[in-house]
Amino acid sequence: MKEVTSPLSGKVIRINVKVGDKIDENTSVLVLESMKMEIDVYPEFSGVVKEIKIKEGEDIESGQVLMIVE
Amino acid sequence: MSKSIENLKSLRERIKKSTEERANLQHSKGKLSAIERINALLDSGSFSPILSHITPYGSTFDSQKIDQLGDGVIAGYGTINGRGVIVFAEDFTFMGGSMGVAHLNKISRAIELAVKMGLPVIGLYDSGGARIQEGVHSLTALGGVFYNNVMASGYIPQIAVIMGPCAGGACYSPALMDFIIMVEKVSYMFITGPKVVKSVIGEDKTPDELGGPTVHATKSGVATHIAKNDLEALQLVRKLLSYLPNNALLDPPFIQTNDPIDRVDAELNQFIPEDQRKPYDMKVLINRIFDKDTFFEVHKDFAQNAVVGFARLGGYSVGIIANQPKFLGGVLDIDSSDKISRFIRFCNAFNIPLFTFVDTPGYMPGTKQEYGGIIRHGAKVIYAYSEANVPKITIIVRKAYGGAYIAMCSRLLGADVVYAYPTAEIAVMGPEGAIEIIYKKEIEATPIEERQALIERLVKEYREKWANPYEAASKGHIDDIILPEETRSVLYKALLKLSKKKYEFYLKKKHGIIPT
Repeated sequence: MKEVTSPLSGKVIRINVKVGDKIDENTSVLVLESMKMEIDVYPEFSGVVKEIKIKEGEDIESGQVLMIVE
Repeated sequence: MSKSIENLKSLRERIKKSTEERANLQHSKGKLSAIERINALLDSGSFSPILSHITPYGSTFDSQKIDQLGDGVIAGYGTINGRGVIVFAEDFTFMGGSMGVAHLNKISRAIELAVKMGLPVIGLYDSGGARIQEGVHSLTALGGVFYNNVMASGYIPQIAVIMGPCAGGACYSPALMDFIIMVEKVSYMFITGPKVVKSVIGEDKTPDELGGPTVHATKSGVATHIAKNDLEALQLVRKLLSYLPNNALLDPPFIQTNDPIDRVDAELNQFIPEDQRKPYDMKVLINRIFDKDTFFEVHKDFAQNAVVGFARLGGYSVGIIANQPKFLGGVLDIDSSDKISRFIRFCNAFNIPLFTFVDTPGYMPGTKQEYGGIIRHGAKVIYAYSEANVPKITIIVRKAYGGAYIAMCSRLLGADVVYAYPTAEIAVMGPEGAIEIIYKKEIEATPIEERQALIERLVKEYREKWANPYEAASKGHIDDIILPEETRSVLYKALLKLSKKKYEFYLKKKHGIIPT
């Protein structure tokens, strides 16, 4: 079990994966809006998405857990 | 045959046998032996060793103790693609590659020779650390290696390849060199090993978690490159050297490529998204502008919001620095500032012209960055660019806001030529942030339901007036506004024009005080 955390604070504008999806270091799992930019978030590891902890439109903090990956 | 000749021949025979036996120990761990590594690195048959019969501190020559000859390190002269280099390789099979006095003095001697002859030095590290049996004497000799690394720094290129353990004080020799290549699975670097870390602060980590190649290539930035195995690491060294001069008094080698310099790349005109919020991969732009397949990235997996590396343009070796909108929007933060400023200083020391591609929303906000010292780290970028006197060419691709605009090699920091794409926005801050400040009163005085429309209109006006390259160009901050498709030939002409640039030296001083 590993956690994908947010590299910075911002608003979630799009979630690109769903529970059960296989992801790796090159998968943009979601897009954040921060600093007037759309910022892709990439995990530091590969695995399968177990749980998504946030919703589209939600404001999140830097370091917040976004997803649980197995 | 005389007795003395016979003796030498038999000694050589026994050395050869001992070397082969010990090579097997390395092979069983998936590693090459020291001499195999040297032979794989250098042009075939070019190696000529120094101090090959030296014995450990306090010992005398003993014909029965063959393995101690050389004291666990092989050093000498050789060539790579016909160019001279000095190399040393630690031998893990003799006392765990531990660094004794004779071993370390030999490394110091190799670096001194490299400086005298103006040749790059390559260190192949595979050692358990300072030799405990020789106590403070080995530490003294280790200090000597550090001193030589520092004295050589900026005069000859220094490349370290970590091909086994490298722990404690021994880490600082590679750390003082210019590039560190780590080999997957077999290498690790840490100041304090897992056992002590566990007993002192209670962290339970494996050597790989504490200081393996992935950690150093992605998190700490200690490693500039990772290789899958010994041979790949040595190939990386050969490739890296092809971009570098032998020493700071020479220009880097010119290597003809078959990529036409007037190549127009019409697709590039559509490549950069007009929507300033949309990311794209800056590396695609770099790869398509410079000579085909010549981009050699440095620190690829560290601080990916910036991209640095070498490439060729019309055959000339150049250094590239760019923001990477694909990661964190291309923001400048602590790690990317360190990465950028170190690379600039390396290129400047070795006469490699700098090409800077700008697309950044600014410096990263937040307590994590402020507490970590983004002010002093970010200052390094400004320092390094200002100090650099090689040709400096800047291309403003899209966003260039505020302090980050100045820092990314603007005209103010001595850029010789500044170009902008039509998509460039040069301003104190982005339109949205700016109008919230400038028109605060007007916005507050407007009924809430009408505010959104007002803001949108003001943003549009602001963008038209300020957020474009034409205003900056009219004030002389930009030399020309160019089409992406013509970048390659425009940059090549700029490089030729600047190739005779005279380096200016202003004040005589010992050295500046770079923020660290």
